[in-house]
Amino acid sequence: MGRRRRRAAAAGALPEAIAALSRALPAGPSPETFRRAKFDRPEAAPALWQLLFRVLSPLQTDRASASLAPEAQARWVKCALLSQGYPRRGLAQLPEDGSGGSRELLLALSWLLAREPLLERLLAQTRVRLGDEMPVCECEALASPGLPGPQVEIDCPVDVRHLQWLMGKLRFRWRNLMASQQEQCALLGKIHLYTRGCHSDRSLGHLSVAETELLRDPEGGQQLLRRLQSENTRLEAALEWHRRELVFWQWMDTVLDACPPEASQPAFLPSLRGCGAAELELVARELQALHEELRAAGEARRAAWAARVGDLGPEWNAAQRAAQEAVGRELAALRQAWEQSGGLVQPHGPHRLVRTEAGVPGGPGLRAAEVIGALKSREACLEETLHQLQAQCRQQLARLAGALPGLIWIPPPRR
Amino acid sequence: MSIITVQLGQCGNQIGFEVFDTLFSDSHCPQGLCSKRENEAYQASCKERFFSEEENGVPIARAVLVDMEPKVINQTLSKAAQSGRWKYGQHSCFCQKQGSGNNWAYGYSVHGPRHEESIMDLIQKEVEKCDSLSGFFIIMSMAGGTGSGLGAFITQNLQDQYSNFLKMNHIIWPYGTGEVIVQNYNSILTLSHLYRSSDALLVHENDAVHKICAKLLNIKQISFSDINQVLAHQLGSVFQPTYSEEGSSRYRRNPLGDLMENLVPHPEFKMLGVRNIPQMSEHSLAYSTFTWAGLLKHLRQMLISNAKMEEGIDWQVRPPLPGLPTRGKMSLNKELHFNTSIANTVVLRGKDVHSADLGGFKDPALYTSWLEPGEALSVWRTQRAFSKYEKSAALVSNSQFLVQPLDMIVGKAWNMFASKAYIHQYTKFGIEEEDFLDSFTLLEQVVASYRNL
Repeated sequence: MGRRRRRAAAAGALPEAIAALSRALPAGPSPETFRRAKFDRPEAAPALWQLLFRVLSPLQTDRASASLAPEAQARWVKCALLSQGYPRRGLAQLPEDGSGGSRELLLALSWLLAREPLLERLLAQTRVRLGDEMPVCECEALASPGLPGPQVEIDCPVDVRHLQWLMGKLRFRWRNLMASQQEQCALLGKIHLYTRGCHSDRSLGHLSVAETELLRDPEGGQQLLRRLQSENTRLEAALEWHRRELVFWQWMDTVLDACPPEASQPAFLPSLRGCGAAELELVARELQALHEELRAAGEARRAAWAARVGDLGPEWNAAQRAAQEAVGRELAALRQAWEQSGGLVQPHGPHRLVRTEAGVPGGPGLRAAEVIGALKSREACLEETLHQLQAQCRQQLARLAGALPGLIWIPPPRR
Repeated sequence: MSIITVQLGQCGNQIGFEVFDTLFSDSHCPQGLCSKRENEAYQASCKERFFSEEENGVPIARAVLVDMEPKVINQTLSKAAQSGRWKYGQHSCFCQKQGSGNNWAYGYSVHGPRHEESIMDLIQKEVEKCDSLSGFFIIMSMAGGTGSGLGAFITQNLQDQYSNFLKMNHIIWPYGTGEVIVQNYNSILTLSHLYRSSDALLVHENDAVHKICAKLLNIKQISFSDINQVLAHQLGSVFQPTYSEEGSSRYRRNPLGDLMENLVPHPEFKMLGVRNIPQMSEHSLAYSTFTWAGLLKHLRQMLISNAKMEEGIDWQVRPPLPGLPTRGKMSLNKELHFNTSIANTVVLRGKDVHSADLGGFKDPALYTSWLEPGEALSVWRTQRAFSKYEKSAALVSNSQFLVQPLDMIVGKAWNMFASKAYIHQYTKFGIEEEDFLDSFTLLEQVVASYRNL
């Protein structure tokens, strides 16, 4: 009696656990989809591709990325998983039209769930924001790969003027973005100033944009309520999932048992599309030959160099010492910079913007001036690097131009 | 987003006044041929760009007036005040007692540094009045002393202090038969300096506008005011509000930014010209009707045959046939004076604007080989009629239209420079021969770049 009840309870526990997971995920598919995926049924694949795309998107799925064709979404999912070190090669070989491979996709999803606090990250991403927030670093956006750009045929020759044109366009867009950001800051400042003393929370003192909007438009309050309710539901589902997830992982073990084992291969080999095995062999042999040639040439050079250095004597020694000293200085500077930045905890993630009276000691939060200071020093570092690289490019250009007698080199107008 | 206009010298101040007056009267014109609500949105958009509000409700132009002589500024201020509809800010002008005597070097090297702080302060105050600033529109002559010399100096300062904001210089090309002996020197110095510090150079040629006054408007005694009204009309037809995208009924927020992104991303190609159609006296307008197809056919031919107005268009000029080798195409172009474009923005205003077909402007033969028509052409529309014209079209184009006049000015200046004529007038104020040589090099490069499209 007792055993049968336990088994029935266990049988019921799995769908409930999966249902909780689905509710916690954005647009999570039904438990039935998961069951079908265990048996690698093709009809479960499209929903799982889409779910993976949503889960892996760097930002909240916006209009532009949602309108991507399913094939493009699938390609992107493959790239994103590859860049995160997903080990199974079965995924890379799946058809991109969504016609199959649901079990592989289920495995990939579970891998993501097991590897990082995925639910927490997604919930934080879609959280209802009442305050005016601003990220103090861009590390997350920088760490995740962007959406795929349009494919460009590089077989035909490219006119450099076209590239300059595109570069200029990018520069204008960037300036446009800066102007928009400044406008937003100016307007935020106005709202914060005009609503001073309106907030029930003394430590905030003023209203945020969302709160001001609520005052102006009570209908928006209903909407906000609905959004908060749905967020609550997702949070509850996430809690329930954590209570029940053990049974899911036991079930996943059976899924893993059901799939044929992959021959273990330590390194990932990019697939050479359109190249036959014979061609590949040819390339490999050529490579080998080149390698040999390079080694022989390198040894000869090294020997010649050593002989020449021997002749140079004290001059060479001085130059070598100077170079070593320069390297040592740079290393010390780098080490110092590293230690300095290591001592401070870098500000991170989104922060609520709060305006405080001048002279009033702030709460536990970050001070804007400090963040600006940190950003400025980072900017200075980047600019220095940029200038170095530009100087290198200029030298290289000058060298190239110098190699062509009779050619006058006119640097382009400053922009 | 707002645009701050900087009016420099006699020419800049006179044109600036006409521009603001045109913008204001158009946005308050009852004959907009659209709904009241749409008209209000149009007005609000125009106002945000070019005017700020004072307490008593009279809009104030977002402008800074600079001249080294008080006469023109005083006239401009009082004309605006007399209109009673809009005015200039009380503390928005800067003037001195003594001009630059048509010497570019004096404007650039003497007036510039001497009054830099006061002028930049005025601009700073104007910037602070804007919730959101898009950039600067700097009106000046090309060949004089104050407008061009000081203008080049101020533009450079704006580039240093407001590098993220856009700068468009509206420059007036002198008459070919100008009276100032050193106008070619002044011109090459202006152009080369602006090429380094400005984002776009919108050029109006006095000769072309003069012809429009004579031929299209039938004016007998053409005054500067007539000419400036034509300029203002053309600028208004570009910068008045248009819908932000096809099918939208919201107005574009950042016309300056969009225009530059469409037309001048390449740092070597910054010269813009404006054409518009129809342009006629108010009297003839009452007896005329237009179709979009007819207007656009003319406008296209004006573009490819490099005509500045609809009268006297050379209809023989045809786009080069595809498939011809480039060299053949070039010589053929030269023969037929075909004007190759880099990029065009067509602005359409008025009735049934959505039915206008731009197919003729999407022909790849119109453009340089390294840009697709899709990248090179942008179209702005609004149903709201402009300045009593039921239908009107304007074209801002980055094309070869200035190659010839530019080459001519550079050539004339070079001839004078070779005989060292009047150079001491410039070296006296710190513009050295080296600076001249730099200017020649840069502009010859520009001419060559445009020629080799």
